[in-house]
Amino acid sequence: MESKNIGWNGKSLKSMLEESEKLLEDKKSYYGIEHLSLKEENPFRYERAYASLRGALVSARETALHVAASPIVTEIGELCFGLYTPEGDSIAVSTGILVHIHTMSEGIKFMIREGYEENPTINQGDIFLNNDPQCGNVHTTDVQTLIPIFWEEELIGWAGGVTHQIDIGGITPGHTLVSSIQRFDDGAYYTCLKIGSNDKIWRDHMISAKKAVRSPMYWELDEKCRLAGNLMIRDAVFEFIEREGIEYYKKFIREAIEEGRQILQKRVKERLIPGRYRASSFMDLPMKHQAWVPLAKENRISNHPLEIIVKEDGKFSVSFDGASAGGANAFNCDKGAMEGGQWVLLTQVLIYGDKVNDGAYYAVEKNYPLGSWANPGDPYLSYQAPWGNLIPAYTAMMKCLSYGLFARGFREEVVPGYGFTGDSIQGGGIFNAGPLKGERWMLSTFEISGQGLGASAVRDGLNWGYAMWNPESDLGDVETWELFQGGIPYLSRKVKPNVAGFGKYRGGGNYGSVAFIANSEKVEFFAGREGLVFHGSGGMHGGYPNSTSYRLQATNTNLAEIFQNKQDYPISDDDTRNGEFERFLEGDIERKPYGTIYPISLHNYDIIHFSESGGPGYGDPLERKLESIKQDLDDGLYTPETVNNVFGVVAKYEKTTKEWEIDVEESTKHREEIKKEREEKSMNFEEFWKYERKKITEGELSEHVNRMYSESLKLSKTWSKEFKEFWKFPEDFQMGGD
Amino acid sequence: MTESVNEDKAHLLKVIALDTGGTMTDSFIIDENGSFSVGKALTTGNEESIGILNSIEDSLNQWGKLLEDTGVGVEALVYSGTAMLNRLLEREGNDNIGVIVNAGFEDLHRLGRALQCWIGLDYAGRLHVREHEHPPTLIPRNNFKGVRGRINFWGDELIPLYERDVEKAVDELLEMNVDCICVCLLCSYMNSMHEMEVERIAKQIMKEKGKEIPVILSSDHNPVRGETPRLNALLIEQYAAEPSRKQLKAIAEKLKEKGVPAPLRILTSYGGTMSPYSKSLIPTMVSGPIGGMIGSKFIAEKYGIKNLVSSDVGGTSFDVGLTMEHYVPTKWESSLGGFILNIPMIALDSIGAGTGMYVRYNDVSGRLEFGPESAGYLIGVCNEQSGVEQVTMTDCSLILGYLNPDYFLGGKVPLNKKRALSYIEDQLATPFKTDPYETARGALDLIEINMKNHLNGMIQGLGFRPENYTLLSFGGGGPLHVAGYSKGLSFQNIMIPEWAAAFSAYGCACADHSYRHEISVDLVIDPDRTMSGFVASMLSSTWNDLKTRIKEEFEKEGRNPEEMKFKPSLKLQYFGMLKDLEVESHTDVLNAEYSAELDRFDSPDVDIILKRYDDLFEKIFRRGTKSPELGYHVTKAVGTGVVPVPKPILPEYELSSERPNDISSKGTRETYWDGKWHESSIWEMRLLNSGNIVNGPAVIEAPATTLVVPPNYRVKLDKHRIFHMEGK
Repeated sequence: MESKNIGWNGKSLKSMLEESEKLLEDKKSYYGIEHLSLKEENPFRYERAYASLRGALVSARETALHVAASPIVTEIGELCFGLYTPEGDSIAVSTGILVHIHTMSEGIKFMIREGYEENPTINQGDIFLNNDPQCGNVHTTDVQTLIPIFWEEELIGWAGGVTHQIDIGGITPGHTLVSSIQRFDDGAYYTCLKIGSNDKIWRDHMISAKKAVRSPMYWELDEKCRLAGNLMIRDAVFEFIEREGIEYYKKFIREAIEEGRQILQKRVKERLIPGRYRASSFMDLPMKHQAWVPLAKENRISNHPLEIIVKEDGKFSVSFDGASAGGANAFNCDKGAMEGGQWVLLTQVLIYGDKVNDGAYYAVEKNYPLGSWANPGDPYLSYQAPWGNLIPAYTAMMKCLSYGLFARGFREEVVPGYGFTGDSIQGGGIFNAGPLKGERWMLSTFEISGQGLGASAVRDGLNWGYAMWNPESDLGDVETWELFQGGIPYLSRKVKPNVAGFGKYRGGGNYGSVAFIANSEKVEFFAGREGLVFHGSGGMHGGYPNSTSYRLQATNTNLAEIFQNKQDYPISDDDTRNGEFERFLEGDIERKPYGTIYPISLHNYDIIHFSESGGPGYGDPLERKLESIKQDLDDGLYTPETVNNVFGVVAKYEKTTKEWEIDVEESTKHREEIKKEREEKSMNFEEFWKYERKKITEGELSEHVNRMYSESLKLSKTWSKEFKEFWKFPEDFQMGGD
Repeated sequence: MTESVNEDKAHLLKVIALDTGGTMTDSFIIDENGSFSVGKALTTGNEESIGILNSIEDSLNQWGKLLEDTGVGVEALVYSGTAMLNRLLEREGNDNIGVIVNAGFEDLHRLGRALQCWIGLDYAGRLHVREHEHPPTLIPRNNFKGVRGRINFWGDELIPLYERDVEKAVDELLEMNVDCICVCLLCSYMNSMHEMEVERIAKQIMKEKGKEIPVILSSDHNPVRGETPRLNALLIEQYAAEPSRKQLKAIAEKLKEKGVPAPLRILTSYGGTMSPYSKSLIPTMVSGPIGGMIGSKFIAEKYGIKNLVSSDVGGTSFDVGLTMEHYVPTKWESSLGGFILNIPMIALDSIGAGTGMYVRYNDVSGRLEFGPESAGYLIGVCNEQSGVEQVTMTDCSLILGYLNPDYFLGGKVPLNKKRALSYIEDQLATPFKTDPYETARGALDLIEINMKNHLNGMIQGLGFRPENYTLLSFGGGGPLHVAGYSKGLSFQNIMIPEWAAAFSAYGCACADHSYRHEISVDLVIDPDRTMSGFVASMLSSTWNDLKTRIKEEFEKEGRNPEEMKFKPSLKLQYFGMLKDLEVESHTDVLNAEYSAELDRFDSPDVDIILKRYDDLFEKIFRRGTKSPELGYHVTKAVGTGVVPVPKPILPEYELSSERPNDISSKGTRETYWDGKWHESSIWEMRLLNSGNIVNGPAVIEAPATTLVVPPNYRVKLDKHRIFHMEGK
């Protein structure tokens, strides 16, 4: 079939994309633009133009939210929209889960490279669906709808919307599956598939797509929601062109991206000091005794070494050279995930007030080493829960940026890290009683969107209010979550002590919950979060990391009897050594020191505890003001034991005033004692180096630590060289147990 | 205002509308002929009634009259104020409140919702995480007591209520000498059994101890889903609204002493008015911007306008609301002082874009930035005494010739144009390397396009286009910027009332006397509507309950409940959705008919309602988004009871010639448009006559506002003294 090119001036899209890439390569600027001529000619018209496009995106999102169904979209706002150039570069974005904005760029570029112009063809009114991590997506659960926008005969852009699904038909119910180990476990895959024409979604697609997930109703409404938003954006673009003219539009979209690129560079120059910044983070995967498939039965730790180089002219590069390997687990990340994570944090810390678009993407040089978890290069692996590596890995970026911000004097902007968005508890069951008998319920509480943020260099971190992937964080109401997960009602949502990272300024605090199974059968339950490692950013300038997670549940309990007799039931796990589970319940009580578990079966009156993350702290806890400690105690953020052991503060509870009282004299003394103890325990660097080196040479490291470093050594010559030089190992050195 | 020169008239008052702000108390009075006058006095915090009487005196002064002589025939006395809101914002309310929640949820208030950290921020602030902050709590943690027990989401008891927990909680709270006990238990909106049991036990204990304090149940106060907003409403009621009750009663008493016979009514956020004796005062927390909306609806009715968008430009914010198909939509999710609430509020959206907003140059991005802070009543750098050092929008308007430096607030505040010019030069034009006038005009353009986006977004968000709408502009800054923020949007008509600066107070006087009650019902209508007969009977009986409750409210304040007109409506969504829309019902008794063919009860009335919902949904969300195949979920039944009250009349003036009288002319002045200066005619607003046409470029000046007419625009003053603007 002979078809006319749909690009500008008779070009094909493919040649436009190639031209854009070549110009970027040759001229080091977006589309080779040297001057922002529109901005120079009339800055006011130019800003007006940008404001009108961004305004349209924000209002499309606000409106589309009403069409969606899944509580994750409507209650927590897991939805965002973007406008893209014909080549797939984002021009402007709405608010929402900004992590996805660059991901849709990659989807568009994929279609162009694969020759979609000829087959299946791209026309006004066509609708494309994508959730493939190999085409820029983060994981299959994020579903994108993309529509081309034509003006007369030419393709002048794309509108894209993405929502996070409640279920994607994977190996188990849920949205971020930990038991998925290969592509075929990840659930429904749509690789930039055309699913509609003339602004209508094809019926055959809708029928088959609804059968592919466990929550067909949410699928349908969310798909309509993304389409509705995209159509509003297309209308806004038409209005823009009618007002400003097509020539202005064409020039404007490119200059806006180039300006975004220049601004990131300027912001880097303004806020950071040139140099090499490094930080590391880790994640545990305790699967040896949990995994179902032999291949996946191993305990792993992944290594996330991050390096940022800031040049004097504001050039900025990010590298994960030295990262450990990808593999038979759900935590592999492809490019979309890596870009998305990086991008969302840059917008939160550096360019929030500027033109937020793909200019920032082009301003950053990056290296995701092939074969590592950050770029496994194998499409048949699972990419279902990349967040497992992505979230901890980028805490290191926050820390690196914070060193720069601190050095430049932006002390209030310092963010040494953030809490993992977990416990991510998931699963589901079927009601076996009540008006919904026989209906399925899904457990996918998105209250994980409210975690503790790190302290800054001048104040404590934000409590229960941060999600790295969505700056508009929220917890949602229990009464709303229970509409969808009514088989596991809450018994509590209560501030949990000692989760906030210790420091002169403490990290954000958070809460723990207890819930039990009711009126249900066939209940599956699993969870994901770090448990055996601290996330590497781990506080700054003497501050501590936030606490890690653990699992606590009781099965075969006498809970029914307890309720009937009106006896005490557990509502917290504040004192783990004398826990309420153990004190109040009969049954099988299980505590596990890790946070990530494979699905288990639960039955009515089984009861679980889960908790949300705190944020890391800043500065030496011994320097924390006594009045702040008193407040922490009154607020239940720390136990008196922690206050004594870590902060060196002696306090007692005054029953009459119902407040804590600090013994100033004793506290001063105690702090001195701790300092002395520290001095006694301390060693100089040389001694420390020898001590640690001996652990490596004498095989004292555990199997999974050895494995992690062997992988890193194997995957990167540079990193391996530096590692060996630092520890003074011979060139043919290998980790023990390798 | 217009009639202030005719001293010989009787000026018997019909309407008194009051607006108590943080610093000034405004009064707006209307006499038997529809003439009006505006008064101002300082707000007296501890005894609001003093400021109010002073303000009324000031407005009567302009007619040389006294309240004792003119107030005996007052038919409508309406109050709106910010005292409650300020009490909340400044955390100066009553925190001696006990709260009983489910055990394990004692931190409910402290945890709040993370969205409360960013809900009031602009785009940049929402992205910038370091700006996010929880609103400080209202009630100390120790005042929250937990009781074991749980109701589930469909209303069944999961765990029985532990009476001994309740006894202990009540004992402890009484020991603490709290002023009242609020009860908010999970899922009480579905089943209030446990909350009522708590109340019963509490009263029993109080009786034994010889104490008596109120016990307020969330299931009675605001029975809607969402424990955070439900608790917020309950707490804010006691913390900030309840302490005003005494003040409000005092105002009513004082005015009665002066011979004003009409009962005092307070404006609510849903646009009605209620008595200071009504059960819950929280609906009156936000009333300031609501007045403008009510006034707009009133104007829309008088002019027979179906769709009207009202735009209010104040010193700090730009508020936009809609009247659509004669109906003012309400929204449910609102926030007050950073707390989210589930109380109905007129759908009104604000952005920070008032005349006092600061304008800055950002040297990294090379762009102008605006606000979000505002100089407010300090005006700008042109107000030398103010100490303001950063250029504001007003400074820009001044150097462009739009404002008369010697006539700001009637000349009470002299403006220094030279100073404004030199600051604009230093702060904005020099870094931009442009001419200061071009820069000032550019800055106003950018702000006005922001306002325009906001306006357009709101209209389009409801599925309309500007072509369907008439724009009404008011507020002190409305007439100054209306040409700018309406440019490029083809409204049917643009109207600017002469009394734009006092329009909100005027609007208060236009409000109905009404109560609105609502209740979560959660009724499901499956796709083939087998349940519609059942739903019809459930809704009819719920509306009947609501009707009875509202009648009781009217009875309590001495009104005849039989005069009440009941307006039933309901909120619904496609099954599975979380966001609902409100649809009015044509009747409060939905009939169900037996269909022999289907062997079940059907309801044509329910079908009518569902059709209305489908149509509304499609109008708003457009192509391909309707989902009737999923069935429907009726979330709430809503009832509004209205009793008739006298409203202001719109006085009518004889039309004179198109050409204004010479006496209204104030000569000429240069104003800046499209890169050059234009000689512009200057007019005194008060002296223009109905029928007059003023061609742009022109400036029409009044003490409290300035109407700017750009080149190629013209305005015509109609028989009700409302300007109509036309332009390219």
